[in-house]
Amino acid sequence: MSDGSAALSSDAAPADTDADWQRLHPATLALSIVRLGPRTVNFLPALAAIGIAGKWVYVLPALGVFLLLSLAAAWLAWARFRFHVGADEIAIESGIFARQHRTIPFDRIQDVSIEQGLIARALGIAKVGFETGAGGDKKDEARLDSIGLDAAQALRRTIRAHRGGAVPAAVAPVAGEAADAAGAAGEDRLLFAMTPQRLLVAGLFNFSLAALAVVGAAMQLFDNLLPFDFNIFNPVDWFDLAERYGLEQWVTAHRWIAGVGALISLLFIGFASGVLMMVLANWGFRLAREPRALRRTRGLTTRTDVALPVRRVQAAILVTGWLRQRFGWHELRLQSLASDGETEKDHQVVPFGRLAEIDPVLAEIGMARPPAEQPWQHSHRIVALGGFVGAGIAALAGAGTIAFGQPLGWIALGAALLIAAGAWISAHFHGWTEIGEMVAIRSGWLKPKTTLLPFASVQSADLSVDFILRRFGMATLVFGVPGGSALGSHEIPAIPRAVAEALRARILAARTRP
Amino acid sequence: MTETAAAHPVDPFAAQALNAAEGLDPVDPAYSHVLRIKTLFNAVPIAIAATVLDLMVVREVGGPYGLLTGLAWLLGAIAVVAFPARRAQRWGFKIGEGQLRVARGWLFRTDTIVPFVRVQHIDVGQGPVERWFGLSHLIVHTSGTHNSTVTLPGLRSDLAAAMRETIRRHIQTDFA
Repeated sequence: MSDGSAALSSDAAPADTDADWQRLHPATLALSIVRLGPRTVNFLPALAAIGIAGKWVYVLPALGVFLLLSLAAAWLAWARFRFHVGADEIAIESGIFARQHRTIPFDRIQDVSIEQGLIARALGIAKVGFETGAGGDKKDEARLDSIGLDAAQALRRTIRAHRGGAVPAAVAPVAGEAADAAGAAGEDRLLFAMTPQRLLVAGLFNFSLAALAVVGAAMQLFDNLLPFDFNIFNPVDWFDLAERYGLEQWVTAHRWIAGVGALISLLFIGFASGVLMMVLANWGFRLAREPRALRRTRGLTTRTDVALPVRRVQAAILVTGWLRQRFGWHELRLQSLASDGETEKDHQVVPFGRLAEIDPVLAEIGMARPPAEQPWQHSHRIVALGGFVGAGIAALAGAGTIAFGQPLGWIALGAALLIAAGAWISAHFHGWTEIGEMVAIRSGWLKPKTTLLPFASVQSADLSVDFILRRFGMATLVFGVPGGSALGSHEIPAIPRAVAEALRARILAARTRP
Repeated sequence: MTETAAAHPVDPFAAQALNAAEGLDPVDPAYSHVLRIKTLFNAVPIAIAATVLDLMVVREVGGPYGLLTGLAWLLGAIAVVAFPARRAQRWGFKIGEGQLRVARGWLFRTDTIVPFVRVQHIDVGQGPVERWFGLSHLIVHTSGTHNSTVTLPGLRSDLAAAMRETIRRHIQTDFA
């Protein structure tokens, strides 16, 4: 690796011969070859055009040239990328023609994430991402794609060790003290892990028909390729089966058997895809307490290793479902300054666990659920109005359709009733309560959600009154909290105005302490 | 808009009533002119577009020619003449003990408080229209996802600069 770099850097500045500069792992090239596969698809239209033009002779050479050029580009990108780990900063130089030099002081790196895809794991390399907490485009984050796994872990240790005493400002003091106490105690402790049995149970509750569309599309595609002409996911095939056995008469009399077949296949897809997604995402889930951070490793094909500095935690969100709550299962997410990966905005630290397992995790970040006997203050029932308006529109549309002689309108009418009922029931679950320097907000009935928000995390507070709330003397409190959450903004809807003003004053006063 | 005399002892449409009731300072009255000119810039192109549409389409298909044009210009005139003063009056602010309070709107009124210690950085901006009237707007940035910027328009330029200094001093003293 080093001789290659020396040869290449001869055309660059002389200082570049500095041995401290490192390159990405050579296996990265192998990874880019693998990535070529899907990329070739983009080239297919061009190939097709050549083919249609009747010049079939050129198709193969064109493909070859394309692959060669892509490989050359990948090699050039690799050769022109280098990084340098200094005493208190990391420097990255990249770009084939337009060179970019970036320096990131260790002090500014909130977190180092390590991610391994399936092939990367086979090759023993990992993608390293640096969270700097800078707003804006996620694509702009600095990353090393990819270096050896050992090197990645060593780099993370170096940066963590350097970040010793740096204390960010925007954190709950309570959380900080607890963190120090726990941190002094020392080494990594396992807080939570997912066993395969737990994954299975979680997957069953993760019942999802979202995969149905994908499966359906795949079935369409592969239907003709299947060796046998029967698709258990296709209700029509169940009719056909019955017909083939001369059961036509019987089937017309017993249509329910086809219905049952379709239902069973639907259920099967729903449960299977739920389990599959849960296993893929959370296989080998481990949440450990490190001196300053919570560290999470998980994933079957793509393994991720994320550390969440305890002092960066802004809020905790407890989510469950109408059914899983009855079985005592809950999910814990933490909202932090650093976001989780490219898609998720908050960190899932307990995907599926008992409250008794979640409480210790909350304790690590200096939070606690409100005790059972603590009274909750409720939002005004007017919060159901939005649902009622939606139901009203649906009902009007339904009535209109029926008036035009289309019986499908009754479905809309039924849906309107369901929406209204759901909104009315959900309205009863909006509430909030105060626990010390923290406010707990809960909402939802089908998907109950409880947010634990330390006063010190609140950056700004809105008191919103619209023309409807004003008539009831109510106001909605909306809090500005750092770090995004996939579960929406933090707000307490429709509480008495005086109460809202007093609560806002308390929350905003709490932070002015030293 | 509905009658809300019960909630407010004074006429809610009276100038300053809403702000006075909530202990807020009004923005500079000249801000209504800024709003009026901005509304004018928005309304005139829309009205012209409506006129052209009327001319090209409605007349051709034999619709009620002239109705759309008249309506567009009438509504535009109302928006330019009647509303800006009222909208400007509904902005209110207060530089309090270590915090900035900004309120806006009436139908949907939002009252935001940003403590100075939570301010990340501050902008003072001035558009060409604002410059005519010697006004500026103050933008306060926080690290929250909701309310990442809080804008307060309609400040006299010297006041805006003074407010910026006030907030800046607080940031320095708290993080020194």
